[in-house]
Amino acid sequence: MRVLLVEDEVRLADNLAAALRDGPGFAVDWAEDGQVGDDCACNRCYDLIILDLMLPKLDGLSVLKRLRGRHDVTPVLILTAKDGADSIIQLLNAGADDYLAKPFDLGELIARAKALIRRGKGAAHPTLSVGSVEVNTLEQTVRRAGVLVELSPTEYHILEYLMHRPRVIVSKRELLEHLYDYNWEHHSNVIEAHVSNLRKKLDGALPEPAPVIETMRGRGYRLALELQSDLEPDLEQSQ
Amino acid sequence: MRRFFRHRPAAFQPGSIAFRLIVAVLAVELASSILVVGLSFGYERHAHFHAFDVLLHGHVDSILGAVQDADDTEKNVMLVQADLHLPHDDIYEVYDSNGRLLGRSPNWQGIPPNTPAPSQSPYMELTVNGHPYRVLRFQGSRIIDVAEPGGGKLRQFTILYGAPTFHVWRAIRGAVEFYAVGSLLLLLITGPLIAWLLHRGLLPLRQLASLASQVSVDSWQFSPPASAHLTPELAPLTLAIENVLQRLEQSFTQQKTFVSDAAHELKTAVAVIKSTLQLLGMKRRTVAEYQAGLERCLADSHRLEEIVAKMLTLAREENAAAAAGPRPASDLTECLDSAVAQLETFAALRGVKVEVAIAFSGVSLVPLTREDCSLLLSNLILNALQHSPAKTLVEIRLAQRGENAELRIQDHGDGIDPAALPHVFDRFYRGDPARSRNTGGSGLGLAICKAIVEKAGGSIDLVSQPDPNLPHQGTTVTVHLPLAREAEACQPQPVLPSA
Repeated sequence: MRVLLVEDEVRLADNLAAALRDGPGFAVDWAEDGQVGDDCACNRCYDLIILDLMLPKLDGLSVLKRLRGRHDVTPVLILTAKDGADSIIQLLNAGADDYLAKPFDLGELIARAKALIRRGKGAAHPTLSVGSVEVNTLEQTVRRAGVLVELSPTEYHILEYLMHRPRVIVSKRELLEHLYDYNWEHHSNVIEAHVSNLRKKLDGALPEPAPVIETMRGRGYRLALELQSDLEPDLEQSQ
Repeated sequence: MRRFFRHRPAAFQPGSIAFRLIVAVLAVELASSILVVGLSFGYERHAHFHAFDVLLHGHVDSILGAVQDADDTEKNVMLVQADLHLPHDDIYEVYDSNGRLLGRSPNWQGIPPNTPAPSQSPYMELTVNGHPYRVLRFQGSRIIDVAEPGGGKLRQFTILYGAPTFHVWRAIRGAVEFYAVGSLLLLLITGPLIAWLLHRGLLPLRQLASLASQVSVDSWQFSPPASAHLTPELAPLTLAIENVLQRLEQSFTQQKTFVSDAAHELKTAVAVIKSTLQLLGMKRRTVAEYQAGLERCLADSHRLEEIVAKMLTLAREENAAAAAGPRPASDLTECLDSAVAQLETFAALRGVKVEVAIAFSGVSLVPLTREDCSLLLSNLILNALQHSPAKTLVEIRLAQRGENAELRIQDHGDGIDPAALPHVFDRFYRGDPARSRNTGGSGLGLAICKAIVEKAGGSIDLVSQPDPNLPHQGTTVTVHLPLAREAEACQPQPVLPSA
């Protein structure tokens, strides 16, 4: 998952980015003022935007209003040092999904970030299951028909992303955009290698496996159709 | 004050303006009624006694008419008392020109012998049978026996006629009593009437007070009725309340903004430290990582400490503005030299050259304490150094401009965005976070400088024209400080080794 962090306090931004990368393993882009943040958000490649309120050049509220003005539905978590119900009400009404008051707990921030991403993708529970595959997003563990499958972080993130979008063809470009931050070298063959490994590991867990990830030539990947009948209703509806 | 207006009768408690006015009006009324009673007494007495005197004259005339020829040989006259019909209380005596008593009323023994000799006035006051009488002495003449040959003789008589005066006094007393009672009644009626009128008349004042009492820290709304501005008595009060409220609100808003800004800064600083620590605890790390984390925490704590210290300095400088006491004085030239010396290392580290030019004829004493003066100069120079790229020049010029000392500090950095320029002296304002945060700015430095300069009665200005075509145009800060006069300037404070 890729997160945009808009925060002008350099030290705080460093810490938050490090925590989001180390903990849930998100790709994090950092914007140091509202203008840059707004420009970044235009790419629409983020699964969550963490937005500080007091920003130079363009304040957080304006960034939020512009974002929602473009009909961008990316979840937004506001960081604020302001007290008072008025400002919170104003923020939520302007389209914010959640807020955290400074000084906040890093664990809480990560939990809220995860919840917002989950909600943004239509899942209510941290455990995602499609067919015989079950992904626990808290422990970052994967089971195939009850058997634990060991995955590398990138393999896990690819699977998690696909699990959030069953039946939908996800392009390599989309996977790249959502799994790597701005500073990463973009090479689609990196994805191919990871998907190949992921497939092997998932199928290795069963004696007679059916393929989990289908490759749609030139278009991308999707979770295998044989799983369609087993889809959970809420996941179906969300797509 | 609230009780005063809430309870109606209490509006007339002793000491209130209404009470004093009522007392004053009633006192004036009382005095005038006393005067009226006095005057009416005088007038009534005069009128009644005039009528009384006319009556006495009438009776005297009828007595004169009763004097007849006695028909005796000596051509004597006599008083025919049978013809007289006079009030039975009255007294009289009739003498002829020889002093012979012709007749006297039966209820009188005549003028007592010890009566003082008759004065010019024809009237005298006597006490007869225990009653006060007013007696008229009348010298009259009458021709007796007109029928006789020769037309009769002119005879001289002296008639004393008196009547009791207590009837007159009773009448006078009655009239005076009427006036007195009337006045008293008027007094009793007008008292409450004035109270009521005053209560009504003071209504706008009470309205104003109740409007003013609704003002609180949360609601500064004070909208007096238009009549309050038009009433000459209320206009100054209304204006004063409005002005006071406006100033108070302004200062409250300022304080609120400061507190909220300060809270934001401190919360952010705490958030940095907290997140650093939590990040460190998220997983097991190597000793080197822990050490690096601790060092970061220490640096963050240091920044927090600095913000708190600067906030306190700012609060001190802004509050000390009105402080009394002897005017401090310190040598600007000397402070400048020591500030530059202090920042030499920092400038060398950044690769910035500092050039100082002092053009001063007299003593450069300014009304600042040495600490403030040093703080001002080092803040401004540090600011210039922080915004100077390497291999550029910071120029400092100190000169005399009439009564003022003029200090110009110019750097050749990137300058300040024109949009940010009006806010550079605002507390916690940062023109460019990437620049000031990285250089450790708290956003308070220039606010502190402004507070110090304004305390000394000077001015501070900042000019910057960032121009992409002219890089390193830079920013110029100009400070004007009033120079202390030589005579006024006491001993400059001793130079302390700077910490």
